Amino acid sequence: MQKIIKSIVPVSFIFLLAFLPILQPPAYFLSFIFKVFLYIILAESWNLIGGFTGYLSFGHVAFFGIGVYTSAMLFQHFGLSPFIGAIPSGLLSSAAAWIIGYPCLKLRGPYFAVVTLCFVFIIDLVVKNWTFLGGSEGIHLKLLPMDIQLSRSIFYETFLGLAVASVLVARWVQHTKFGLGLASIREDEEVAQTLCIHTADLKIKAFILSAFIPGVAGGIYAYYISYIHPDIVFDINISILIVLMALFGGGGSWAGPLVGAVFLSIVNEFLSIFIRPEFARIIYGAMFIAVIIFMPDGIVTFFKKWMGIRKIQHSYTSPVDKEK
Amino acid sequence: MRKRFFKKILVLGLCLSIGLVVGQRSPSLAAEKPIVIGGSLPLTGTFSATGKWVEKGYQYWADEVNAKGGILGRPVKLVIYDDKSDAKEAVSLAEKVITVDKVDLLLGGYPGTACTAVMPVVEKYKMVYVSMGGHMRSFSQGYTYSFGSPPLMGEWWYLGFFEWMKTVPVDKYPKKAAVFTMNNPIGMALMDSLYKGCKELGIEIVIDEKYNLPLTTADTMITKAKQMKADILFANGMFPDGVMTLRACKAFDYSPKAIVQGIGSVIPEWTKELGKDGDFVFSGTSWHYKLMYPGNDKIIKAAKDKFKEDEPPLYFGFGYAWMQTLQQGVGGAKSLDQTKIRDWLKTNEVKTIAGNFKFDEKGLPKPYVYLTQVIGGNVELIWPPDMRTHEPVYPKPAWK
Amino acid sequence: MQGRQLLVKIRPPLNMLNPIVILQSIVSGLLMGGIFALFGVGFSLTWGVMKVINIAHAAFGIMASYIAYWGLTLYGIDPVLSLCLSLPLLFVTGLLIHRFLIQPITRSRDVVVASMILTFGLAIVLENIMLFAWSPDERLITTAYSSQVIFIGDIIIKVSNLIGFILSLMGILAIYLFLYRTCTGKAVRATWQDPEGAALQGINLRRVSMITFGIAIASAGAGGVAMAYMYSFNPPVHNLWLIFLFLVVIVGGVGSVIGSAIAGLMIGLITGLSGAFFPMQWVNVLLFGLLMGILLIKPEGLFKK
Repeated sequence: MQKIIKSIVPVSFIFLLAFLPILQPPAYFLSFIFKVFLYIILAESWNLIGGFTGYLSFGHVAFFGIGVYTSAMLFQHFGLSPFIGAIPSGLLSSAAAWIIGYPCLKLRGPYFAVVTLCFVFIIDLVVKNWTFLGGSEGIHLKLLPMDIQLSRSIFYETFLGLAVASVLVARWVQHTKFGLGLASIREDEEVAQTLCIHTADLKIKAFILSAFIPGVAGGIYAYYISYIHPDIVFDINISILIVLMALFGGGGSWAGPLVGAVFLSIVNEFLSIFIRPEFARIIYGAMFIAVIIFMPDGIVTFFKKWMGIRKIQHSYTSPVDKEK
Repeated sequence: MRKRFFKKILVLGLCLSIGLVVGQRSPSLAAEKPIVIGGSLPLTGTFSATGKWVEKGYQYWADEVNAKGGILGRPVKLVIYDDKSDAKEAVSLAEKVITVDKVDLLLGGYPGTACTAVMPVVEKYKMVYVSMGGHMRSFSQGYTYSFGSPPLMGEWWYLGFFEWMKTVPVDKYPKKAAVFTMNNPIGMALMDSLYKGCKELGIEIVIDEKYNLPLTTADTMITKAKQMKADILFANGMFPDGVMTLRACKAFDYSPKAIVQGIGSVIPEWTKELGKDGDFVFSGTSWHYKLMYPGNDKIIKAAKDKFKEDEPPLYFGFGYAWMQTLQQGVGGAKSLDQTKIRDWLKTNEVKTIAGNFKFDEKGLPKPYVYLTQVIGGNVELIWPPDMRTHEPVYPKPAWK
Repeated sequence: MQGRQLLVKIRPPLNMLNPIVILQSIVSGLLMGGIFALFGVGFSLTWGVMKVINIAHAAFGIMASYIAYWGLTLYGIDPVLSLCLSLPLLFVTGLLIHRFLIQPITRSRDVVVASMILTFGLAIVLENIMLFAWSPDERLITTAYSSQVIFIGDIIIKVSNLIGFILSLMGILAIYLFLYRTCTGKAVRATWQDPEGAALQGINLRRVSMITFGIAIASAGAGGVAMAYMYSFNPPVHNLWLIFLFLVVIVGGVGSVIGSAIAGLMIGLITGLSGAFFPMQWVNVLLFGLLMGILLIKPEGLFKK
């Protein structure tokens, strides 16, 4: 019963978000929240491998980009709607993750980070050199043949669904045996192995799952951006940004990337709109420094600790109150 | 506890989003409502060097127009956001200025990828978009509200060079060409006119290579060109790689009859930073401050007085010329109705500092390009002949 | 568009077998690689000794490049001489940054992650301060000798690259001697191999890592000046230079000075040579591919015992 009451707030909030397009807000708000959703999706799915398992992947933009290109090619050559094409996009991204993950996940720590970074560079360069994929001139798609407000609403709703799904997947993973296995890898992989946890198996599963969602998102995003160029979709800054978002929020839990993505997107947008360019960037950079110094394990962990301490104090004072 | 925490996030998120909505709602209700012109430019990040000059061009135009009493009797106000050199941001900021700031007119963006990504969106909003565009492919997508005035057209870039080359005695033609091109939309767009021109003049392309930016070393390229005895070098690059190529040419004492540079030499740093080494390089341009079109004298003066630049940079002039087009479109249509402005622009001639343009159905003027050569630390006009400011130096003298 | 360019172009064999092209590529590549090595050695050191991945490393390099540039254009000071000013300056900056920014995060659960986020922020701040102060215009260091060359047979060596290379050799040698011949240096190595053991031996971890950080930042400055001899620069370019740092560290092995030196040379050699044999557009693919291969086969780096 309590569970139901507690879930009322998030569910009603999601409903509110879902009804937002009906109010016909300026399309920019839909696009902006769409962008936030995109980052939530990417950061949450990154978190499966990066936060839960402790393998910092800087290659997630590659999976996103593979998704974009797959659905764009399917649309160009077979006229397949991107909303359907998103599924093969996700599958292809997963396949890429499987191929790449198999050898790469044997590496630990920063080495894994760098090898995934190299993967992005290679994919980016190969696409640029490959004329079939549009090469370095990019692919032009047509926007949805409808009113822009309506099309932005459609993208908004789709990504809202995907964002909710990715948060739920992350939450589900965290609370299952699978998630516990991943956590054990993060804490100490050797010990996990000696406890008969199939770490290699778990890792590759997490990696494939974490590549699938960006692939689907990319497949739909292709139609949103409509001009597809390696510099736009294999942008290494996206990779860095989603890692920062997840870690900024706190990598160990499903809530971290959500908080990080929402917080950083909003701050970034505010700064670039209201403050003159260089200062906006300086404040943005300084914010990273400040947050990491005061909350070295992310916002969520910080607040959890903070509230945890408060709780202990509370339980400590309450018996005294009773005596009175 | 986790649930409570989640609630807190939600409250925070709600507050922020409400703040976002409220913060945005600030239509100015001044007595004399200014015409708001908005858009985004890369003011920080990789492309900021150019973005800043475009911004200065816009700003200079706005100051000038306001001093003269504005457009349609109303002053103009610029709203320029920083897209951080990210095309995705450029798209979302274009939507912001259109739907939230409700600007009356749009500003063109930079670079080509950003313009290309913004063009389909502004078409949907039916807003006139005057920019450099993203080469021929972006203008061939059937957009009706996008204009290139002047455009940065890789496909036309070398037309001037080859036309001029035809006036050179046949025995002085270069025989073998080495072509090094950066692998990006600009580089690829350059290839069309290059291949065609070389074929017409019977120049054999002995090396045709692409490289990805950033270029780490140009030594290998130049050694190859020297070994193949190529007597004309096409270095289709930007500034950083262009400089490396040129320095390698000098170091290896490779002196072809002509060095043709992509778009690296169009920024003022080429002459400022390279000095004498940058001399005798050919390139194209869509605008030059020495062109005999009215307005260029003002630009030269403004650049000297305001920014202490002896030569107004290309993108300063571009920014100004785009705004001139927009201004004439509004003046001609006598309203801010975007479709009327578009139709006026499509049917009438526009006079800018880069030339007088009549636009075709793509939103482009007739193919044109000016051939330039850097001589004595100045960028001089070579072609067309009626615009010539200096006799070309050909063949290129040996390195000193 | 389609069919205008083949996936891989086959080139005349004449070009491939030309010994001058190959030799020249080797020489140019080695000179370039030496400079990468100096630029990367400090990055490797902070990573190895204190688990700090300093994303702002290249930004500090750019700072030194700017000091050299302004020294040259305003006062005519040779870039190498300007290091007398910039090295101590950067060393002190490094100490301060370590004291006030790096030390607070050493208590976090994962120093690598925390340091990456911190220095990422630092890089943005530095980049934009430089952007604001010195504008995003492209800069180029042009000295009297920047277009002079030395001939060895048919092979040409650029004087400016040679100076950068010599600077690198000296810098790397200095760091090597510091680590292997001085007491502080030995303490640094001990800390790196076994922090707790070192602390038990009475080594002041805080002081040791502070000095290491200072030295790393100073070496970034020297590397930045050497890079500026080869490349044009403006503040945002540090993002590109950062890639070279990662390359050097991974090939050479984290924390290894000699490894970094050899890695730099190797990377230069690969880029130079592959440019002679392969179409230029595939050179970087090859480089990153090789790097991935090295990582997968020998993740601890090629030159680490």
